[in-house]
Amino acid sequence: MLNYIWGGLIVVSLLFALVSDIRDFTLDTYANGRPLPVTVSVPDAYDAEARLQRATVEIAAQDYLAHFNVEPGAPLAYSAELIQSQQGRQLRFAEGISVPEPLATICNMHSRDDDCRATLAGTPTSGAFAATLAFSPVRWVKMNAIAGAALDFAETAVTIALGLIGGLALWMGLLKIAEASGILYSLIRVTQPLLRPLFPEVPRDHPALGMIVLNLTANMLGLGNAATPLGIKAMQELQTLNPVPDTATNPMVMLLAMNTASVQLVPPVLLVAIMGLHVNELFFSILITTALSLVVAIAAAKLLGRLKTYRQTNPEAA
Amino acid sequence: MDIVRLVIDYVSALVLPAIIVGFPLYGMMRKVRVYEEFVEGAKEGFNVAVMIIPYLIAILFAIGMFRASGALEFVTSGLRPILDVIGIPAEVLPMGIIRPLTGSGSAAIVLDMIGVYGEDSILVKMAATMFGSTETTFYVIAVYFGAVNIRKTRHAVPAGLIADIFAMLLAVYVVLILFG
Repeated sequence: MLNYIWGGLIVVSLLFALVSDIRDFTLDTYANGRPLPVTVSVPDAYDAEARLQRATVEIAAQDYLAHFNVEPGAPLAYSAELIQSQQGRQLRFAEGISVPEPLATICNMHSRDDDCRATLAGTPTSGAFAATLAFSPVRWVKMNAIAGAALDFAETAVTIALGLIGGLALWMGLLKIAEASGILYSLIRVTQPLLRPLFPEVPRDHPALGMIVLNLTANMLGLGNAATPLGIKAMQELQTLNPVPDTATNPMVMLLAMNTASVQLVPPVLLVAIMGLHVNELFFSILITTALSLVVAIAAAKLLGRLKTYRQTNPEAA
Repeated sequence: MDIVRLVIDYVSALVLPAIIVGFPLYGMMRKVRVYEEFVEGAKEGFNVAVMIIPYLIAILFAIGMFRASGALEFVTSGLRPILDVIGIPAEVLPMGIIRPLTGSGSAAIVLDMIGVYGEDSILVKMAATMFGSTETTFYVIAVYFGAVNIRKTRHAVPAGLIADIFAMLLAVYVVLILFG
């Protein structure tokens, strides 16, 4: 299943990016190769020799509309720099300006460090003069976007995983003490009448049951930072019972389903950060939803496990 | 009902310090060499984190591409007629689709919706309830199964998604009943 979803996400992304780029191409969204008429004014006296001069650039609303086929919304005037070099004259928009779409995309595509520039055609004089701007052609916006996103998220994944090290190590250490001191076994004895029906494949008094209890408790109390290491520890304990190390067993699937449904008595920290005190109103709606979805998750894990395909792949049955 | 909330708040604030102090303390009383045991256990932390990396990269980059491709808007408009029939407002659909995929992405959607509809709107309540009552299924799968090198996930994904879909629908109806 995961193979299909994963492959599907990638193929669908490619298709949509392709469709979107072809539409941009046929509609000429970015007006590639057509110069945009503007009015440039140089506040200081124009100096034909100067390499860099301050300037402002204005784009008339009707010109913008005719060029990009989009209403700009607000009057368009920006500070900029007039650059003269052997290659010709260029206009560089000031850093940090906000231009409307699709000009914003054009700027983003070619800019390194907010450097949005275009080739200027016209005869500069002191004061205001009419000119045209030619931007480098913009193609394959979405294609570049998905490739960029893939790289960005690969990096994010590493950041997230490495960020887990501290919490993981802390909890693994504490749990080792809990195991050695026997506190874990007290916990298991108290809770296993409740848990064993859900995890019948796990032997009585097995440490995995204790880890599962701690994981589910941490989840309930909204302690996300503790819940993940505890869940991982529970998985490791379940893995010791697994005869086929690369295939999930029924108890593993059950633990995962219960975690994805996530019973939460306390709203997640992120939601509290976003909504502030408004979260309190949602206490009961979240509680009802989360409790019932847990029941569904447990039922789904149990019932799906009885399907023929999943029975055949059950590592413990073989 | 406020008292329930208060008790839960206290418990959730106190349980972490209680465990972090309680486990070593109890260990000391039972004559366990707590420092040695702790370090022995903590050693594993690094290896587990590194083990998760390939799984997390695989899941996250595919999700990142999907979000960047604009496919989401298309799916939303495609499903609109079906949603109308079962009484789900189409505005909350992006949340329903993104929630199992990424936590930060769905948080961004809640923020967005607060900006567009206001904090008190029923749509925001629905989206926030969805956010609060489910987990980032694919992240949990990558991390939990990645940590023990499980590649064949069997019915974990369908079970997780069934629960997610159910929670999304239920969140809408519960909010309608409580606030509608």
